[in-house]
Amino acid sequence: MVLSAEGLAKRYGDREVVTDATFALHRGEVFGFLGPNGAGKTTTIRMLVGLVKPTRGRVVIDGHDVQREFEAAMRRVGCIVETPDLYRFLTGRENLEHFARMLGDGARERIPELSDLVKMAGRLDDPVRTYSLGMRQRIGIAQALLGDPSVLILDEPTNGLDPAGIREMRELIRHLADDRGLAVFVSSHILSEVERTADRVAIVHRGRTLAQGTLSELTGGGARSLEDLFLERTAGETV
Amino acid sequence: MRLAGLVENETLKILRRKRFRVVLLVLAVLLSVVVFGQARHRRSHEGEQGAGSWRTRVEGRVAQMERRLSQTRNMPETWARWSRFEVGRLKYHLEKGIDPESVTGPLFARGFAGLGSVLLLPLLVAVLGADLVSSEFSEGTMTLLLTRPVARWKVLLSKYVAMVLFTTLTLLLAALLSWAIAGIAFGWKGWDAPVVTGFRLSEAGFDVSGVRVLSLWQDAFAAWGLAWYSALAVGAVTMLLSVVFRSTAAAMGTMMATLIGGTILSRVASEWEGAKWFFVSCLPLPEYYSGLPTPYPGMTLAFCAWVLLAWALAATVLAFVLFGRRDVTG
Repeated sequence: MVLSAEGLAKRYGDREVVTDATFALHRGEVFGFLGPNGAGKTTTIRMLVGLVKPTRGRVVIDGHDVQREFEAAMRRVGCIVETPDLYRFLTGRENLEHFARMLGDGARERIPELSDLVKMAGRLDDPVRTYSLGMRQRIGIAQALLGDPSVLILDEPTNGLDPAGIREMRELIRHLADDRGLAVFVSSHILSEVERTADRVAIVHRGRTLAQGTLSELTGGGARSLEDLFLERTAGETV
Repeated sequence: MRLAGLVENETLKILRRKRFRVVLLVLAVLLSVVVFGQARHRRSHEGEQGAGSWRTRVEGRVAQMERRLSQTRNMPETWARWSRFEVGRLKYHLEKGIDPESVTGPLFARGFAGLGSVLLLPLLVAVLGADLVSSEFSEGTMTLLLTRPVARWKVLLSKYVAMVLFTTLTLLLAALLSWAIAGIAFGWKGWDAPVVTGFRLSEAGFDVSGVRVLSLWQDAFAAWGLAWYSALAVGAVTMLLSVVFRSTAAAMGTMMATLIGGTILSRVASEWEGAKWFFVSCLPLPEYYSGLPTPYPGMTLAFCAWVLLAWALAATVLAFVLFGRRDVTG
């Protein structure tokens, strides 16, 4: 187990946007975090990486509590939260070098290999403002991998990509989990997308986890789709 | 600790953004305009009165001021105070045989430390500093910056170091530019000219007991050092606003309104002594050092330096606490 969330909750005023989120990520698996927009996915991710302080519960990464041992915990994580925002006035390479300097030890030496992996080696010296969203997404992933993490957290990584880009992203995520042994956390509001990439899935709705398990457990060995399950569990509730 | 790497990052970002270059350009343009204006003014003056007659000119001015002081009724107290001060200063110059109005490049550079520290230099520092934290929020890069294995206080500390570095650089360049540009019109020489300093206005009247004669370069060094000190205080307060508002426009707008408002306040509300605790009233340290009367009684150079230090420290502590604790949401 490389990452565990234990009873995470976040309250803003009277409104609890995330309630008791509990899950664990293991080496080499893709964990799909599925829910409609506004289900609390991004708030949960922000708690996982220490941007938002949980009202209750805790996040442990490789044995380090994110709130109490932030630096040790974050050393094992790479992430893209919401959109892959980079410094638009710097080149792709300068962005990678910028974040490599924050990591120290050997991160800079991984830049050539990682830019090959995300197929950005040819455009590395162009300013980021000339990149498409897909290209920024790929530099974002290279940036997330600079520290050689054991967990990769991606927030809606296929959002805004064209069909070819979506397929490439899916293949890249599978490659990182299968061949490099990373635990990959992927949030999405697209059911079919999660069905295709994830090994295990949590379905969230209005801040609560409705169901969690491997794909075959949840779909009864393929007897029904995630969509059926989602509609069944949220029956009677208006979104 | 990788602080050196973090500071390198901040330096790179400041140099690659347009902001710093714009600040330097504004400075160069404004200085050129002021120098041009002063050169024109001086030439027309010389035409009127003829060169070499400065002694008669100064004596005339002293006589006129003394007449006005004794004859005008209901003269505002600050104006009367200033007039008495100016009369004393001119008399001292006459005694020593130093033309108080001869302008040289070095003298202009010295004077600009005082004039600039009232408003222009603080404004430029505010423009520079307002952006340092808030731009990361508005560009969305703050989430990346704060999900790297570097504690938040270290991230903010690197930004403070960058602020201090670039404020220092801006002040250094301002001093150099004012000398270089003024030198074109008035000549670059004259750093060792004698400067009469240390006039004080006491209850007894014009007090020359503390008057000393310095070399101009010593005087300029002290004045620019003080200008740098108050610029750093402005930088610290601006950083706090940048942390609080997370928006460059809001931070810069608030800081500019505060600076301009504060400058007006010390001219208008001279009755309200509480204003002396306001950091903007204390900014023109080089002016107070030169002996310019402070707007409120009890305001000494040391008092102002302490007030600025207190504001800068309080702002810095508050900025670190807020930055370390607040949730970062989209």
